[in-house]
Amino acid sequence: MSIEIPVDKWPGTVNTVTLGATEADGGTRAKVVTIGGEQSLPFMHFETEMPHSPVIALEMTPSRTDDWSQILLDAWGDVVEDPARWAAAIEAAGADVIVVTFGLTDPAGDPITPDYAVSTVKAVLEASGLPLVVLGPGQADVDNELIVPVADSTKGERLVLGLCEDGNYRTIVASAMANDHLVVGRTPMDVNLAKQLNILMTDMGLPLDRIVMDPTTGGLGYGIEYGYSVMERLRLAALQGDAMTQLPMLVTPGYEAWRTKEAKVGEGVPETWGDWADRGVHWETLTAVSLVEAGADVVVLRHPESLKRVREAIDELMTAAPA
Amino acid sequence: MAEYNVRFASHPEPIGVPAGTLLVDAAREASIEVQQPCGGQGRCGRCAVQVDSGAVRRRSVLRLSPADVEAGFALACQTVVEGDVSITVPPPEVIERRLVTDHIAPEAALPDGYDAAESQSIRRVELQLTPPSMDDQTDDWGRLCTALRQATGIEHMETSLEQIRGLGPILRNSDWHVALTFDRGRNGSPRLIRVQPAAEALEAPLCGLAIDVGTTTVSVWLVDLLTGNVTRQASQYNQQIARGEDVISRIIYASKGDGGSELRDLVVGTINEMVDTMCARAKIEPADIVKATVSGNSTMMHLLLGIPPESIRLEPFITPINHLPRVPASEVGIAMNRDGVVDPLPGVASYVGADITAGVFASGLRESPDTTLFIDVGTNGEIVFGSSEWMVTCACSAGPAFEGAGVIHGMRANTGAIEEVWIDGSTHEPSLRVIGNAAPRGICGSGLIALIAEMFLTGVLDKAGNINQTLETPRVRRGLHGAEYVVAWAEEAEGNEDIVITRVDIDNLLRAKAAIYAGFKVLADRVGVPLEMAEHVLIGGSFGKYINVEKAIDIGLLPDMAWDRFEFLGNTSVKGAYLALIDQAVRDEIASIASDMTYIELSADNSFYEAFTSALFLPHTDLSLFPSVEAAMT
Repeated sequence: MSIEIPVDKWPGTVNTVTLGATEADGGTRAKVVTIGGEQSLPFMHFETEMPHSPVIALEMTPSRTDDWSQILLDAWGDVVEDPARWAAAIEAAGADVIVVTFGLTDPAGDPITPDYAVSTVKAVLEASGLPLVVLGPGQADVDNELIVPVADSTKGERLVLGLCEDGNYRTIVASAMANDHLVVGRTPMDVNLAKQLNILMTDMGLPLDRIVMDPTTGGLGYGIEYGYSVMERLRLAALQGDAMTQLPMLVTPGYEAWRTKEAKVGEGVPETWGDWADRGVHWETLTAVSLVEAGADVVVLRHPESLKRVREAIDELMTAAPA
Repeated sequence: MAEYNVRFASHPEPIGVPAGTLLVDAAREASIEVQQPCGGQGRCGRCAVQVDSGAVRRRSVLRLSPADVEAGFALACQTVVEGDVSITVPPPEVIERRLVTDHIAPEAALPDGYDAAESQSIRRVELQLTPPSMDDQTDDWGRLCTALRQATGIEHMETSLEQIRGLGPILRNSDWHVALTFDRGRNGSPRLIRVQPAAEALEAPLCGLAIDVGTTTVSVWLVDLLTGNVTRQASQYNQQIARGEDVISRIIYASKGDGGSELRDLVVGTINEMVDTMCARAKIEPADIVKATVSGNSTMMHLLLGIPPESIRLEPFITPINHLPRVPASEVGIAMNRDGVVDPLPGVASYVGADITAGVFASGLRESPDTTLFIDVGTNGEIVFGSSEWMVTCACSAGPAFEGAGVIHGMRANTGAIEEVWIDGSTHEPSLRVIGNAAPRGICGSGLIALIAEMFLTGVLDKAGNINQTLETPRVRRGLHGAEYVVAWAEEAEGNEDIVITRVDIDNLLRAKAAIYAGFKVLADRVGVPLEMAEHVLIGGSFGKYINVEKAIDIGLLPDMAWDRFEFLGNTSVKGAYLALIDQAVRDEIASIASDMTYIELSADNSFYEAFTSALFLPHTDLSLFPSVEAAMT
């Protein structure tokens, strides 16, 4: 018996965004990454081809790593002490993009300075040819203080700068516009809030093809279904033609998974939970793969092993032939 | 280039100007002052002039109705000369009145052909009793009842022990010639309120109260029941505010210890303060006030009457009582005749109370077959959608911001309140209109709406309500509560501090407007009637005398429709209470309105939150819902 698979035709398309710029385009990247362009829900290859595969970023921090799980520190070894070497290790591990997240302090525990931020980002650019996402610690004044000089000193690189939030986006957007960079805006798991921030940023004159959105997610067991549903609804709105939702999505399953008790804690937990390191990687992988299915264009991970597993899953999903 | 003559009515000589000259520039050459509070951007409408003859081209007629244009009005800052023209510049007060006239709440007026004695439940009859004798041993009360029966046909009358105690001396001291004041009651037997010597009663006033107990504002009207006219009006903040700003926090407070009786004392105190003042000014005694009709939301009614409101807050949100009986004044504690009656009007549900049933009556929604949207903007925004055939209603918690509470320099619409604001698009300097032309003391609800709208349209605010701190103006600065905009400097204001609006205030206002707009949206979606189908939008609430509809649309508080569909009614709750006080038939109609409304509980509706967050933006996340604002922004 033959079954006819219904095929949806959507009027909207997700914006295509290119992260990073090669020398020919005014940057120094050996490799650029293009995301977005979807015309149907994720991996519905029988409807339309997915022009760009979801990409995987690995995250590093040039700040203190106190809140990073010991499992992660063990996996990376001593490169975590040197941003340049860490970046090189990330590229070697097979990531598509590097995310540099600054905390409030430098490794010595002193308040982070704009000079340190600039020299760190330059060292990372030097050490790796991958496109970069550079995020401040998430405190409005500090973010602005760090991101502006970074943007100024890396003009043309098409870095993704963040985080833009509804109360603090002007400064970062303005410096991204002035220096040919991109921005990422984060909103707390709500379709309307995501859309509103996109409107605010484009109102300043930043073109839509230079913005990605982070609708925020939760780790597996910690609200992932809520994040999943918001991403799905954003994508449905995008495909239905709502321009202010047609932005590629970047989410941070690495951060979310590694702050869960299951990934973070190795002692005093039931034996049935199994091996700690395994568990953490499982947690991160499952969170990330779920979000890829929800429509994520960039998943930001922390563990190199998770990267391999998520890569495998994406490759399978991308090649799955229609029945 | 062609040169034309512009003749101003107030200027002896015509002014020669090149074709294409703006009327404001021609006026300036003639040294004629034309107001331009918006800085010549065609947004405020205050530069309207009358083109008596000649050719002009209006680049924009924003703020002018088709009728205005028909009558020859043009915005001087947007109109260019294309021939010899004659212009009259109207005095500012004429423009001012023309711009707001349509939106001023009508005063309370007696219905046509009103007959006080016929319509009211209160009656005062003069009775000449036969004095007792050795042959006529009827008791005093029986004697009074017999006289009443002979005069009116009324068979039975209830009374209080207190009345009986005072009866004997009054009858004897008045030579058995008395005036009886009683309440006819709705279905049951009449109740005696007062017995006075007839001679005294002929001079004595007979008064009633119409009371609206709002969460934030309490309004009281003193009514002369002999004529039905309103003699005094007063309103002030509900003293309960100090125990919680919204109904939920009041209910919680009431459920703890003596909280309930404390809240009751506070609201009774609020009412009595106003009643005492009104009595003193009107030179009457509280005993002359024989009836009070009370309206208010369900929680306020319960708190006033000392009925525990706890269940209103908890699922499934049931009130102890919607159709309250009338009760003796002595049990309520209002400063009036102890044997007078208090008539609480009926509500529909926990969050749609008598303020709405009374408001629907006062608004006239029930009398018209047209689809009408009625909204009462208070601490709770209640919305009714319907016509004479059907009515659905819902309530949303807006908070007290539009009543001037919860906003750092907010105030009620009294003298000194900024009620209208224009901001110059290039300098970001505001122009203000202050109630009573006094020095500004604060900002009332309509002023807050105007302020947000102007800040938004001139780029002081972004669509999320963030103050743009990159602007070059001393008006924008960082204050104790983050970014703020200075509306009036201390030296212009009466106080010793600057009048500002802060980011926190703006958030409160945005939440309030979003809740109300979301209510509209969800209600309309639920009945499947698009909002645009509403032929009339009636606005009641505590906005003082008027609301600038255009600016309320600019911020996304009201749906984007032609301005002539909007009508501002003022406090419809107290108006409904007043009409019910003076007319029994109205009281009955309000009861049937309460029974006929279909109530939609928004907390049981998932779409409300979605509608709320999308409305939490200026004017709305979906700009296509506000085409006129989109046009004004470009």
